[in-house]
Amino acid sequence: MAIDAAGRRGRHLAGLRNAIILIVLWELLGQLKLVAGGALPAPSAVLIRFWQDRGDYPLHLLATFEGAALGFFIGNVVAIAAGILFAVSPVAARLGRGLNVAIFALPPIAISPILVLTFSGMTPRIALAALGCYFVTMSATVTGITQTDRRMLDVVRAYGGGWVALLRLVEIRSALPAILSGLRVAAPAAVLGSVLAEFGGGGRYGLGVYLIGSLGRADPPRLWGIGLAATGMALLVYALFALIEARITHTTRAVTVAATPPGTPLAIGGFAGAALTLISAALPFAVWWGFLKMLGTPPMIAKTPLGVIDYLFFAQSAETAQLRLLSALAQTLPLTLLGMTAGLAFAFALALASVVRPGIVRSFMPVALVTQTMPLVALTPLLVLLLGRGPSVILWITVSVTFFPAFVTLAQGLGMVSRSALDVVRAYGANPFIQLRLVSIPASLPYLFAAMRLAVPRALLGVMIAEWLATGTGLGNLLNQSRGYLDYGMIWTVAVVSVLISILFYQIVIVVERRVLQRRGMQPAS
Amino acid sequence: MRMTLNRRHFIGLMGAAAAMPLVARRAEAATPFNFQASWINDAEFTGYFVAADKGYYKEAGLDLNYMSGGPDVIPESTIIAGKADLTLTTPDTTITAIVEQGAPFKIIGAQYQKNPIGIVSLAKKPIREPKDLIGKTLAVPPVNVVSVEAMLKISGIDRSKVNIVPYAYDPTPLIKGEIDASLDFTTNVPFTIKQAGEEAISFLLYDFGFKIFNDTVVVTEETLKTKRKEIVAFLKASRKGWEENLKDPTAYPKQFADTWYKGTGRSIENEIYFNTAQKPLIESSKGIFSMSEEAIAANIESLAAAGIKAKRDHFDTTVLEEV
Repeated sequence: MAIDAAGRRGRHLAGLRNAIILIVLWELLGQLKLVAGGALPAPSAVLIRFWQDRGDYPLHLLATFEGAALGFFIGNVVAIAAGILFAVSPVAARLGRGLNVAIFALPPIAISPILVLTFSGMTPRIALAALGCYFVTMSATVTGITQTDRRMLDVVRAYGGGWVALLRLVEIRSALPAILSGLRVAAPAAVLGSVLAEFGGGGRYGLGVYLIGSLGRADPPRLWGIGLAATGMALLVYALFALIEARITHTTRAVTVAATPPGTPLAIGGFAGAALTLISAALPFAVWWGFLKMLGTPPMIAKTPLGVIDYLFFAQSAETAQLRLLSALAQTLPLTLLGMTAGLAFAFALALASVVRPGIVRSFMPVALVTQTMPLVALTPLLVLLLGRGPSVILWITVSVTFFPAFVTLAQGLGMVSRSALDVVRAYGANPFIQLRLVSIPASLPYLFAAMRLAVPRALLGVMIAEWLATGTGLGNLLNQSRGYLDYGMIWTVAVVSVLISILFYQIVIVVERRVLQRRGMQPAS
Repeated sequence: MRMTLNRRHFIGLMGAAAAMPLVARRAEAATPFNFQASWINDAEFTGYFVAADKGYYKEAGLDLNYMSGGPDVIPESTIIAGKADLTLTTPDTTITAIVEQGAPFKIIGAQYQKNPIGIVSLAKKPIREPKDLIGKTLAVPPVNVVSVEAMLKISGIDRSKVNIVPYAYDPTPLIKGEIDASLDFTTNVPFTIKQAGEEAISFLLYDFGFKIFNDTVVVTEETLKTKRKEIVAFLKASRKGWEENLKDPTAYPKQFADTWYKGTGRSIENEIYFNTAQKPLIESSKGIFSMSEEAIAANIESLAAAGIKAKRDHFDTTVLEEV
């Protein structure tokens, strides 16, 4: 025990040391104007600016906190409830799949103006924050529940427990670590969602509003101050859930390995299966339609599914619209695939490193979080100065928006690996690399696929953001230009097409996943 | 949960406190007149702030609800969605929407007789006229690309000789030399560039043949029918506010530091610079907001070069006659 405590203290010290090295390095780079001719400000410059601006911050912080906190709360409550429903009822899971993926694949930059138009006040901020949280937490909940140790379920069943008892006594408890890690990822998403909606919402207060006013001032320390304020908010929530998770994981992890494979999901084939798939695919369209009808948004702005089809195929301008769309896709798609691969590779390397060299990864985490909550608009000048306006800036931005959720999922998978399985190889003297190869990586395969599915729509979003801010090409530019020209048909078309592409990739991942996992007798971590 | 509620409560109270004068004003008139501005609160809208603070709208019998804009607020959309009664737009987007989508808009006035957008560059690498752009990189907000292309066409410059990249409202890449020039409000950016220790040089697209208005006052045909009286009252009070403001452009921005301009992230010196620079672009011998027949004709001709088929019919000058 004493050794353990000393080791932990040593790790903390190492983490602190790394953080200090990082900050000193950053200060030097900033002071000497080594990065992009001074476009990267030194931390001291950011702090000084922050102090000078301190009178401005409270109202902006409060407004963003309100939007993010309410969105975080609403989005996650819905997500956990939905996750439990999908885990308990395979039929519901099949029905909801289309809607879930569609929600996840919605590009925030496309729906933000639509939300701002249809709602007023705080609602767009809350909605965007909630949408940012939903998928991550929902899928974490399902993962957690489906990965429950079968033997515990059998015990409750043997004593006559029904699904309620199973849920209450076993499944929710064993899912807690996964849910908590979902909440952890959701925190930055909520903050960013609120800031993004503020950016377009035209309100008076909020960090997003402050950012717009500051953009034109060519004042990088101010922009970094605003970004870091958003990061600080996300970091607090992230740390809170990480702390709770660390406490709880120890009490829920299995001490022995289950000998039986987890049960296979209810297979619904034939006519009923086809019907389910069909309804699942139709549901997002029905919700889309119903939503617009309910809100009564004028048809010129709010395009229904039929409106989009009409715009793309039958309207007078259909031919030019198709041409513009296709040439944009030709620019966007190859980079999306490349960016997704790079983002996943980075996340995987980082997750492996977190097992072998946890100290380094821990001190990298603040940097990683900054990339998640720093509004990219604030970083654009720095990025274009460093990377230019070609494919490389697109790839960097894509990797930065893709890797984080994938990393958390993978690291969690690696962290959940059964200790006793590890003990076996350890007893034979395996070093950390061999432990990874023989036990951890194979055991966390379901999480690798889950991470892949998370990466799909985010990669597309990353490419679109980069195209919008830096290169002026592809779908991102098309979206932005259509927005300026009130070409609502094209705005909706781009949103729908990007969702459809994401779903297509997503389905491909699922097919591969099913093949691989079935061969290994594993459950997908949905 | 409890903490969230407390916070909400707190924010609610603060909001209520801030809205007090507004509520009091609203109690007098039945329905507020919603005005959607085209950008965040900066000097571009000082005339309206003056009119609001001096009570000109109230005198005209109007209960004005001022809505701030921002980069993602599409002003025209807010009047279609019924969230606003009147808004400020750029004529190119408004007329494109009328022509291509049958949007029921009418342009009834123009805040800027001359569009303030222009090409801004650094004095040490000056771009003084369109032909200097050949072989250079120019950052343009995607929505303005058509305007720039029209200006190039009017000046007889091959579009493919200019490298156009997106502009995201931050002049840093220009100051650092990553781009050679950017398209922005010439009333605003040169100040920022000077603050950053560089000298800026700029020219208006207007002065090189692309003669359009900006911040055109736009309403829907429906609103023009049902709220004509209010619209006339709005123009009258706003004109008075602008006249008052432009008497001494340095006077009012200071007074609004803790109200209209609070927390926008911009400095008051910047607003004074802006307010002074925009004076000659707004003033008109026939009164602020006026649209002369020659000016309308110039708009139609310029937009035609951008491939936008504007017609005289899209402009309605009869409302101004009643002001």
